[in-house]
Amino acid sequence: MNTKSDDNVVFKGRLSELYSLAKEGKIPTSLQGSHTRPCKFWTATKILSGINNSVIITHGPSGCAYGVKKTYKLTNSRNSGSIYEPVISTNMNEKKIVYGGDKELEGAILEVDEKYHPDVIFVAASCATGIIGDNIDAIVEKKSKEINAEIMAIHCEGFAGEYRSGFDLVFGEMVKLMNPPTEELKNELKHSVNIVGGKMGAERTEVQTDVKELIRLITGMGAEVHSIIAGNCTLEELKKAPSVAVNCTLCLDIGYAVGNAMLKEFNTPLNSTILPYGIEATKRWLMGAAEYLHMEDEAKALIQKEYDDIKEEFEQAKGKLKGKTAIIEGHDAIKCLSIAHMLEKDFEMDVIIYNFHPWSTDARQTSIDYLLETDMDPKILITKGTLAFGKYESMKQTEDELMNFVGDLNPENTVYFGSSLSFPKIPVVDLNAILNRPRFGFRGALKVAQCINTALQYSFRERSKMFKKIVFPEENVGLQSSSLTAKLGNDLPDCTVYGERRRGKCMMS
Amino acid sequence: MYDELKFSNCNHSKDPIVGCALEGVASVVAGINDVSIIIHSPQGCAATVAAAFDSHEVDFTKRKVGCTRLFETDIILGASEKLKSLIMEADNTFNTKVMFVVGTCAADIIGEDIKGLCDSLQKNIKAKLIPVVAGGFRGNTYDGIDIGLSELLHFIEKNDEKVTNTVNIIAPQGSINPTWWADLKWLKDTLDFLGIRVQTVIPYNTSLEELKEASKASANILLSQDVGYKFCDKMEKLHNVPLILKDIPLPIGLDNTARWLRELGKYFNIEKRVEKLIKQGEELVINILRKRALMIIPRYRNCKIAISADATMGIGLVRMLFNELEMIPEVILIRSNNNESIKILERELEDLGINPKVAFGIDGYQIKEALKSNNIDSVIGSSWEKYMSEEIGIKLAFDSFSPTDRDVYVDRSYMGYDGMLNILEIIGNDWEKAYRSKGIDWEESFK
Repeated sequence: MNTKSDDNVVFKGRLSELYSLAKEGKIPTSLQGSHTRPCKFWTATKILSGINNSVIITHGPSGCAYGVKKTYKLTNSRNSGSIYEPVISTNMNEKKIVYGGDKELEGAILEVDEKYHPDVIFVAASCATGIIGDNIDAIVEKKSKEINAEIMAIHCEGFAGEYRSGFDLVFGEMVKLMNPPTEELKNELKHSVNIVGGKMGAERTEVQTDVKELIRLITGMGAEVHSIIAGNCTLEELKKAPSVAVNCTLCLDIGYAVGNAMLKEFNTPLNSTILPYGIEATKRWLMGAAEYLHMEDEAKALIQKEYDDIKEEFEQAKGKLKGKTAIIEGHDAIKCLSIAHMLEKDFEMDVIIYNFHPWSTDARQTSIDYLLETDMDPKILITKGTLAFGKYESMKQTEDELMNFVGDLNPENTVYFGSSLSFPKIPVVDLNAILNRPRFGFRGALKVAQCINTALQYSFRERSKMFKKIVFPEENVGLQSSSLTAKLGNDLPDCTVYGERRRGKCMMS
Repeated sequence: MYDELKFSNCNHSKDPIVGCALEGVASVVAGINDVSIIIHSPQGCAATVAAAFDSHEVDFTKRKVGCTRLFETDIILGASEKLKSLIMEADNTFNTKVMFVVGTCAADIIGEDIKGLCDSLQKNIKAKLIPVVAGGFRGNTYDGIDIGLSELLHFIEKNDEKVTNTVNIIAPQGSINPTWWADLKWLKDTLDFLGIRVQTVIPYNTSLEELKEASKASANILLSQDVGYKFCDKMEKLHNVPLILKDIPLPIGLDNTARWLRELGKYFNIEKRVEKLIKQGEELVINILRKRALMIIPRYRNCKIAISADATMGIGLVRMLFNELEMIPEVILIRSNNNESIKILERELEDLGINPKVAFGIDGYQIKEALKSNNIDSVIGSSWEKYMSEEIGIKLAFDSFSPTDRDVYVDRSYMGYDGMLNILEIIGNDWEKAYRSKGIDWEESFK
């Protein structure tokens, strides 16, 4: 890898080298103060929002409940047409902060059970009640005897861990709601799988999403999907979940958390692979499931049929890409690693992940370990803008640095895989766009191939000046480009239109 | 008097439909030009600040937000050094004139001395540092707006002389009109037409220089009936700027707009010009409706409607829906809860001679219960009410307020004459969609 100006480069090398440097503390791995992610409370409640007929009581001031309700619950309603769902707050005020909120929580538990009749109540701790030390566990234990719903305490204070710790926490705790497998149930579910690692509730109804594609593949093999954990699942499904033939991860990182917990607790087999982007990853995902379903022959037949269906267009795209360089936007660590896997294994491209934040080496260890174990060690380029303070300032800088880097590359031989809110002068393939779904499975591979073919076919067209001005106002233009970094693009994937924002607004800007 | 709605099982559990005090404080900051905001908090609170910046539509290129990202060790050991270095870093990068340093729940409870830190750091910082303690537990968004507005008082300079025919517009986060700044524009245009100069808008695109001179205005107009009264009281006490038009609904619908404009005309002694404006406006509305919406008369007459809104929009709607559209407001649900708006609504209902069921400071559960347990044909509210209505089986839900499911690209006022047409346009379109025959299961209907 050469860049025009190495002065801008913080790291260039292989993923394994970056990983080692991070572990040894030789590269900063913390996020800048301007680059916040959802806190542990938010990520925990995101998973909880995927369990139907459950109510979250946030023990704290109203803002925490209001925020997650607007973001997750309203989005569930908007995207899928699911019913209005509350998120409850004990509404802690100054006085309760001083004297404790035990009585409020006790009352709230009884009221919620009475007025909503939920299957399960989750009591989520907030920063405020975590600090003042309300004994949530004792209250939950005491009140569990007085209510009809099951109840569980979730210690997800916003300060109590990094972004993904909320996912891991809830998936770990969720296992406590499950029943141990029985022979009878195992027999009933011997051809069933759980897809684990889902979050936030019902799928969009009108879009061919990735989860729907995985369900289609599982059923196409002759098996069934018992539950998406935790995406629109029920308590009853959760209870039976350990008896399925195998858990298949949706997202390797967070899917692994629940899958591994179920493996340890109930010995439920786990099929854990990287996101099934592309043919190789999908085959591995399907064969991993088939092994435990004892349906290897069916899986092989399905794989052959699925490949035959896409072969022509897929091979055409592959022919155009083989040997070319792929620059993959690195803001979303899981996706970029999976796309790197697909482009290298399926399309035989030379991949470079651009601006993979070193913070992700800690947050996405499972995926990195998996890649390295499967002999994937992509090149990584990190420039100074990635670590710069100020969200927009950092965006401008990384975009300029991208232009600088791309300037040395032959546009005939280089393709950018990232957000179309970025404007490098090479073909841009934006896999986040809703029209390019599903991205998983063979159909996903075909979508990717079609997306690549279209991007290459129309690469002669200059990018829209209007779009450039929208995302990068002229008065803010950097020296070398008039474009926005890819980072913002990842904040607004159009698959996830957060309900409280108008369409096109980003989640955590 | 009104028939107050009572709800059981709501003493300890709330399904909030407004945010916490932090969002309110941040929404005031978001209305000031050339400021940055540093929150001393765990990182999730940044989402609340982002929501406040959204409410002012501050685009991503202009957001200057930093967060100390507090974790467990910071809570135990304190994090003053972390805050100090973030302030210095932000000062160098953001280069704003003012930096608000806001402590949220965690910093507030552990007792971080944000004021002391700002004082000691000020000499090394280019931006003027404004410490604010805004733990979310200090109240809801409206309380937070009051906290934020009170901080702005420090910027307003003493001026003994008033400039005649000038007003400040106090528009604290406007209202739940998804493009509430269009109401602000309508008001500014109206005042301009009437020869009244706007001294300072607080706070929307407000510069610090404009803020300094707010005390020169001869009156304050509050464009909210949810919040801002405390600020206006202080303005009157400290700077002798009186709040006018405070006892009547805001200008929503023909009657309210006319009444509001006449009061304004009386105060500034410009009644003739006001009458011209009213005549033009009413002709505009009536002529358009005659041509494009004659059928709304049989449609809307005696339709029983629930209003679920903030006080700013909700109170004004009552007269418009009852008198002008001949609907029957059966249920009125108001998000905020303050004495001033309660009194205005009481007077309105008495004057109109109606006795709907009313609740202030409502939450999601209460809205749903009120919609379920009252015999209504329609509801005007936000997308929340729309989803609830779908579930309950109320066919007509007019999705007019934030958070809305509607894409709004062109700013639309709800106040004044165009504003009335904008509201009617939404009602008309949603009504039309609700009765499309595609939704009818013919086989089922003819069984």
